[in-house]
Amino acid sequence: MRLLKLAAATAVLATLLAGGAVGDEMRPVRIGTEGAYPPFNSIDPSGKLIGFDIEIADALCAAAKFKCEFIIQDWDGMIPALQANKFDAIIASMSVTAKRKEVVDFTGKYYSSPAKFIGAEGTEFDFTQGSGLVGKTIGVQGSTIHEDFARAKWPQAEVVTYATQDEANADLASGRLDLVMANGVALLDGFLKTPEGQGFVFVGDDYRDPDFHGEGAGIAIRKGEQELVDAFNAAIKQIRADGTYKAINDKYFDFDIYGD
Amino acid sequence: MIDFKGYEWVFWEGLQVTLSVGLATIPVALLLGLLGAWGKLSRNPVARLVAGTYTTVVRGIPELVLILLVYFGLTLALQDLASWIEGGASTVDIPPFPAGVITLGLIYGAFATEVFRGAFLAVDRGQIEAAQAFGMRRSLALRRIVLPQMWRFALPGLGNLWLVLIKATSLMSIIQLPELMRMTDVAARAVRLPFTFYFGASLIYLTITIISIVVLQRAERWANRGIRRA
Repeated sequence: MRLLKLAAATAVLATLLAGGAVGDEMRPVRIGTEGAYPPFNSIDPSGKLIGFDIEIADALCAAAKFKCEFIIQDWDGMIPALQANKFDAIIASMSVTAKRKEVVDFTGKYYSSPAKFIGAEGTEFDFTQGSGLVGKTIGVQGSTIHEDFARAKWPQAEVVTYATQDEANADLASGRLDLVMANGVALLDGFLKTPEGQGFVFVGDDYRDPDFHGEGAGIAIRKGEQELVDAFNAAIKQIRADGTYKAINDKYFDFDIYGD
Repeated sequence: MIDFKGYEWVFWEGLQVTLSVGLATIPVALLLGLLGAWGKLSRNPVARLVAGTYTTVVRGIPELVLILLVYFGLTLALQDLASWIEGGASTVDIPPFPAGVITLGLIYGAFATEVFRGAFLAVDRGQIEAAQAFGMRRSLALRRIVLPQMWRFALPGLGNLWLVLIKATSLMSIIQLPELMRMTDVAARAVRLPFTFYFGASLIYLTITIISIVVLQRAERWANRGIRRA
């Protein structure tokens, strides 16, 4: 019993030390991020956090008048750390999924990376869903949402599957494929911006079908902290409206990563 | 020389954290090990039960699970306790470094218990009886006769534990502790050169091991001074 009292007293003391008065100063919000997922969040050679997630987080904090601090956390411990109050929000390109929603709350998406086609510069395709791309070969990574999506929407095309995205890209470069479909960011960073990707461009639309591609990346918040969810949602709306989002978007991507 | 694209510093920063966690764990593990061995060899059945339960439970649970339990589970339990006492939300926290040292200390203390137990038993029983015959109390006999000789038997086992421990620190990456493995991973993924960076990290772990082995050999020679080799 004495031990319990001692532990309780220590805990109370720790709380008093940790939770100082806030008053009318900006609310401190600790943001967990991974720091190992370029171009969204990573650490540059000087040790600074950089990336799309980081700049968006800074913009959101400015809009919501939060005093934000980043905490770098390994991906595997990300949600447990949020629950154990090691930080207050996760901004780390975390996709909103039904499974995660069981344990944490999410804001609306702050981006939703579209699935896109790439093909040789100057070629024309008929992308009509259901009847288009007759006889064309589409390379995809096997067992992915992209394979399912391509097979469902363009039944008259030939869908060729590869073990890795790099193999599909290499076959496109060598002319064995007409098109490759994958996540737009993966294609941009992994192929179009590399020497092998010269002469190839994005073709067709941005595809964001919730049934196939999910709801996009949101900010995860501990359950029961609705005001924080609301504040971030309002901030997302604000930076979308005032052009801050577009300025950051254009630094990283040559398409709109938010969607509609 | 291998080109680390300006990320050489991650090795240095990570190495510092790895070594500090490892070194800070040693006293905790040694203390728990001595206490555990004392408990296991005690005539008191309660002490034997406590020590036996400790080594069985801790050695039976994977390190990663214990780390998660201490860092996340214990934190949550403390927070619940604090808000139960005070009412309202609590922000009690166990920072990564103490959480890591406590967990690793607990784990390697359990292994050290067995090393010490073996070492105690290896000291010739006749010497203890002789000490008692000289009128030494148990504590004095322990200090003058058993402990100085016990190290000789314990050192090889403890050295082995240290080598395992220094690599187990890499498990701390999951709790925000930027040790060598975590820093390497961050840099490797930033520049997409996993092989280069993991190769660099493994060379560092290997270097720590080699230096440790040399130091341990010296320590063993010192502990064995005055003992004739068979």
